[in-house]
Amino acid sequence: MTTTTGQRGEPEASPPAPLISVRDLSVTYDVARTGKRLIAIEGVDLDVHEGEFVTVLGPSGCGKTTFMNVVAGLVKPSTGTVLVDGSPVTGPGPDRAVVFQDYALLPWRTVFDNVKFGLEMQKGLKGEGWRDRVQEAIEMVGLAGFESSYPRELSGGMQQRVGLARAFVAEPRILLMDEPLGAVDALTREVMRDEIDKLIQKTGKTVLFITHSIEEAILLGDRIVVFKSHPGAIKEVIETGLERPRSERSVQHDPRFLELRDHLWEALQGEATAAAVSK
Amino acid sequence: MSVTSATGTMRIVRPRRVVRRDEAKWTWLLIGVIAAILLVWEAAVSWLHLVPEAFLPPPTAVAASFAQLMVDPEFWSAFAYSLGNVAIGLVLAVVVGVVVGLAVGWSPVLRFTVAPFLWLLYSTPKVALAPLFILGLGLGSESKIALVFLLAVFPIILNTMEGAVTVSPSLVNAGRVYGVNGLALGWKVIFPATLPYSLSGIQRGAALAFTGEVLGEFLGGTGGLGHLLEYAAYQFEMAEAIAMVIVMVIIANLTLLLISTLRRRLAPWYDDRKIAGAS
Ligand SMILES: Nc1ncnc2c1ncn2[C@@H]1O[C@H](COP(=O)(O)OP(=O)(O)OP(=O)(O)O)[C@@H](O)[C@H]1O
Ligand SMILES: [Mg+2]
Repeated sequence: MTTTTGQRGEPEASPPAPLISVRDLSVTYDVARTGKRLIAIEGVDLDVHEGEFVTVLGPSGCGKTTFMNVVAGLVKPSTGTVLVDGSPVTGPGPDRAVVFQDYALLPWRTVFDNVKFGLEMQKGLKGEGWRDRVQEAIEMVGLAGFESSYPRELSGGMQQRVGLARAFVAEPRILLMDEPLGAVDALTREVMRDEIDKLIQKTGKTVLFITHSIEEAILLGDRIVVFKSHPGAIKEVIETGLERPRSERSVQHDPRFLELRDHLWEALQGEATAAAVSK
Repeated sequence: MSVTSATGTMRIVRPRRVVRRDEAKWTWLLIGVIAAILLVWEAAVSWLHLVPEAFLPPPTAVAASFAQLMVDPEFWSAFAYSLGNVAIGLVLAVVVGVVVGLAVGWSPVLRFTVAPFLWLLYSTPKVALAPLFILGLGLGSESKIALVFLLAVFPIILNTMEGAVTVSPSLVNAGRVYGVNGLALGWKVIFPATLPYSLSGIQRGAALAFTGEVLGEFLGGTGGLGHLLEYAAYQFEMAEAIAMVIVMVIIANLTLLLISTLRRRLAPWYDDRKIAGAS
């Protein structure tokens, strides 16, 4: 690491170490059924600095979820290292919360109790404040009035928002979001996106955000990581360089936005056809 | 937030009532069929004398015996004896069955070493072991409780095991991300996720538990409903014997009703129709 506290001068003098540092990461899965090994991702390098919002784009099946799961500590790297705040990831930790692509809500818990799950083990439920915090998170995702509903009584998009609230209430340093708005309708999606954006800007959290939407990737990200498939790897990393706050309307005619959009569209288009051909 | 109205009002309402009304119709049909059978039975025995009353007493005679039983203190002490044994055996079976089922289902090592034996034991006709139990444990309650346990425990173990195996990995991941580990993972995630399966196993186990008790009483000993039934049959008190059988049918069905009510109370999130398991 470049920063050491033992140095005599100001530690600020040297550039800060990245909060997440991924080096030469590969993950292979053993597929028990066929006995084959599947290379999900290979040779991934990425640094994410504190407070950065990184969006991840890529065709389906290119290893985005796998990559995020490694950072979350849910999947072990086959080779390479993942450091969070300078120390290797050995498992999940309270510094990282995940919004799962498939929601992963506990079906026996109501919306309130599912959101509560985000803080009951790590922060504990001592004191009075936790109820308000859970309620606040539920309101933030627009689910007030559904506190006592069970997940199966909610639409996919609503379940996804419960997953968001659960991650936010945990107050992690790093938020790992796997297509958190994938099942949400267009209108809600826009409102939720702005809500997430505002909240992240306010709290200064570090975010890894997987999405299928090019616009979303540009609107939210400080940087965009584009994945390619077969094997999954990083194709390119782009600085968005757009001023904040951004909104769909404000950037619509921004030449930088249009340029990014065309570029990403072409990159993904190439990937999608490559994937189709290789099948 | 204004978004709520976009998706918030779309609660999924299941067409429960329609199903209920259909079920009510079937219930009436069933009652009609039973009444018709009783009428034919009564006619055949009492009016047409097609069958000697000594072999098949008419429903009216059975009803009279039934009424006599209800005020007979000897019946009630036998009732208490049988139900006591069933309760003890069943509680043991539930505790052992759920714990063993969870452990075997959750641990791959146990699953590959222990599970084959469980299936083997499950498929052996345990009724054949009954005489051994009487020999080993004597004519008292112990042998009956052991039989109840033996018959009830396997459906509970196997159902719980199946439930534990099918717990979604993403729920486990969610648990780990939010700090649930080790035993807490079992208690907060695996156990509740498996509960509907366990309850369905308990329901099947309870049905067999009563069989175990009556079987044990047939084979030896001096107490219980099974013993009373056997005695009535030897005395050629057919009306009383049939009344006893009816009592047993009622007990068995009340037990099942109790457990399915319990299941709806304890696992309201679960759709009954989704469970299929070892019977
Ligand atoms: N547990 C697993 N066992 C075996 N193979 C897996 C496993 N999880 C993922 N894979 C494989 O790894 C590859 C990458 O999967 P991953 O879920 O990371 O893709 P993704 O980029 O998130 O896709 P999507 O955009 O559709 O969510 C896929 O080919 C998938 O089949
Ligand atoms: Mg994915």
